[in-house]
Amino acid sequence: MSDSQPIQPIHAAESTKPEVTEPEPTESEASKHQSRTILENWIKSSSKFWENMAEEWTDRMAEMPSPDKSAAKLANAWFSTMKTMQSMASTVSEPRKMELISDGVNPMPELFVKMMAPAWKSFFNLQKDFFARSTRVGESALSYNFGNLDKEAFKVFTDMYEKEFRRLLLVPPLGLTRVYQERMSHAADRFNLFQGDVSEFLAQLFLPIEKSMKIMQEELAAMADTGNLPGNSKAYYQIWLKILENSYMTLFKSPEYTKTLSKTLDSLAEFSVARQEMLYDYLQFLPIPTDRDMDELYKEIYLLKKRIKDLEKQSKSKVKETNKLFVKKSKPRN
Amino acid sequence: MEKPKVSLDVLFSALADDVEQTQERVSKAKEVLTSPLDTEIGSTPYEVVYQEDRVKLKHYKSVATQQVKTPMLIVYALINRETMLDLQPGRSVVQTLLNSGVDLYMIDWGYPTRKDRYLTIDDHVNGYMDNVVDFICEHSGSPQINIMGICMGGTFSVIYSALHPEKIKNLITTVSPTNFDTDQGLLHIWMKGLNADSMVESFGNIPGDFMNLGFLLLNPARLIIDKYVGFWENMDDKSFVENFVRMEKWIFDSPDIPGETFRQFVKDFYQDNLLIQNKLVIGDQRVDLKNITMPILNFYGHFDHLVPPDACNKLADAVSSEDVQDICLETGHIGIYVSSKTQMQFAPKIVEWLKERDDAVNQDVDVIDIRGETRIA
Repeated sequence: MSDSQPIQPIHAAESTKPEVTEPEPTESEASKHQSRTILENWIKSSSKFWENMAEEWTDRMAEMPSPDKSAAKLANAWFSTMKTMQSMASTVSEPRKMELISDGVNPMPELFVKMMAPAWKSFFNLQKDFFARSTRVGESALSYNFGNLDKEAFKVFTDMYEKEFRRLLLVPPLGLTRVYQERMSHAADRFNLFQGDVSEFLAQLFLPIEKSMKIMQEELAAMADTGNLPGNSKAYYQIWLKILENSYMTLFKSPEYTKTLSKTLDSLAEFSVARQEMLYDYLQFLPIPTDRDMDELYKEIYLLKKRIKDLEKQSKSKVKETNKLFVKKSKPRN
Repeated sequence: MEKPKVSLDVLFSALADDVEQTQERVSKAKEVLTSPLDTEIGSTPYEVVYQEDRVKLKHYKSVATQQVKTPMLIVYALINRETMLDLQPGRSVVQTLLNSGVDLYMIDWGYPTRKDRYLTIDDHVNGYMDNVVDFICEHSGSPQINIMGICMGGTFSVIYSALHPEKIKNLITTVSPTNFDTDQGLLHIWMKGLNADSMVESFGNIPGDFMNLGFLLLNPARLIIDKYVGFWENMDDKSFVENFVRMEKWIFDSPDIPGETFRQFVKDFYQDNLLIQNKLVIGDQRVDLKNITMPILNFYGHFDHLVPPDACNKLADAVSSEDVQDICLETGHIGIYVSSKTQMQFAPKIVEWLKERDDAVNQDVDVIDIRGETRIA
């Protein structure tokens, strides 16, 4: 860019005029000046960059002994791009053009804000709604009575998730990849539901341990009152084990446990299916068969084998029958 | 301050003794656990004489003169492995039967893979079992066989005997559920609410580890805690450790269960109890228990928490056989086969019972009026 002239800052040139006649620049003018200076510097440095790159490539090309056809083709394409970028950079760095560009920069933020305003408004509304929902979280929990937290805490979690957060996860996805997004959201949803159920199930399993400790303390207190405390640790263990076993039996026979167990197994199965569906999406890009592909094949093999075995059995029994008939017929008559 | 009613001196002294004993035990256990241990299971010699897909037929080598003419086929459950019947020397049902002159065959169901997920009960009973029975008849030259079923394998044997009564001379069922409408066992309660469809759809085959976890949860206090406390207390005893490890090897060696078989077993058996009502359909045949006319010996455990007595003791009334004997042993589900207490009450009783009925090959069996339950303590 040898023909480019150093750019004189406009305001610097004007500063030679008597100070008294010069009015103070307005805020808008000062801002315009500042952005123009930044733009000028950026354009100058980028045009210098492309110039250097083009020169560098020209030198390298000259040094190349005898490039093969494809390498030369690539180098030429690259060189031509360099030149284009260099000439573009030179053009825009002309003072008059730069002024024009710089004038156009200032309205940009206003335009940008105008364009973005509706999007921001929607986002803030969504955020507001989210926080409103979060503050309502406690309301859903009220019906479960927090006084009974040890039993109900996981139900509260599941309920909160289902009523408040789940809706956000299940917002319908759009566009080309919507099916994949939907499957991912579904898997995440099923995982969250499974987490809630399995936590409730594990908490139920822990209840007999807690209960057995309490009963054990009561029994020991009663024994201490009558002076019948056991003299060795094994006896204490046996008492506790018996209490624990009975507590588990009581829990296991309760309809609540059976219900929780079934619910947990169901949600495990649903999560497992959702996860598989999601994995199939990833696996389809790899050259390996999925369980779904293999299951189809296995079913066909199973049905074919079954048919062959049936036919084999039929043929065997027919051979047997024929042999019997043959033996009967060939028996000498008296 | 009130004086404690138990002397603290006694408690502390007992505690100190405990600590001392534990130190000694741990020191000895270190030697035991690092020394060579004999923990082999299923070690009685056999030959695989038939194989179809994953299913193998074991034929045990005779060690005594054959005293029971009719060959015997043992059908194990699809849950866990048949090695339980040959767990340790001196407590092996297989060895006791062989020593008593029984010509013994046993089905090894193998390890189902995903390709086996579509196999139904029909495929197991009318497919594999029927082919195995035909093979044994041909191999031994006997027109009929004696069949002995273990747990779910017993249920399969009952179905088989109802569908192919002409091939079975005597039926022995051991801890085999036939009536599923009971709330005596936790398994029966839990299975009622199980969604077998969703499990099969998601898992394909039901994982053996998953089943094992379920079994452990039937009694966590004993099976997850007390069992290992017992091991801790006896880990300086080499023989105890060997037998404990043998049992661990067996109990956690759990093949997966073919999905369709699991689905049908849960729905038709546990949830709808179709077998005992003669409403069960296998393949395209209805299973009518009244077709069972051969002698039956039916064992079950009084303390069985998996297959409670109520699940086993309705068979006699459902079949047409007039020679039926129920025997309730004072033990649990596995104890029938492995406990030292029942060693003399189980396999020897089977041999004796078979011998009494063995001479009646292809003859009308003398009716022995022994219907009713025998309790052996």
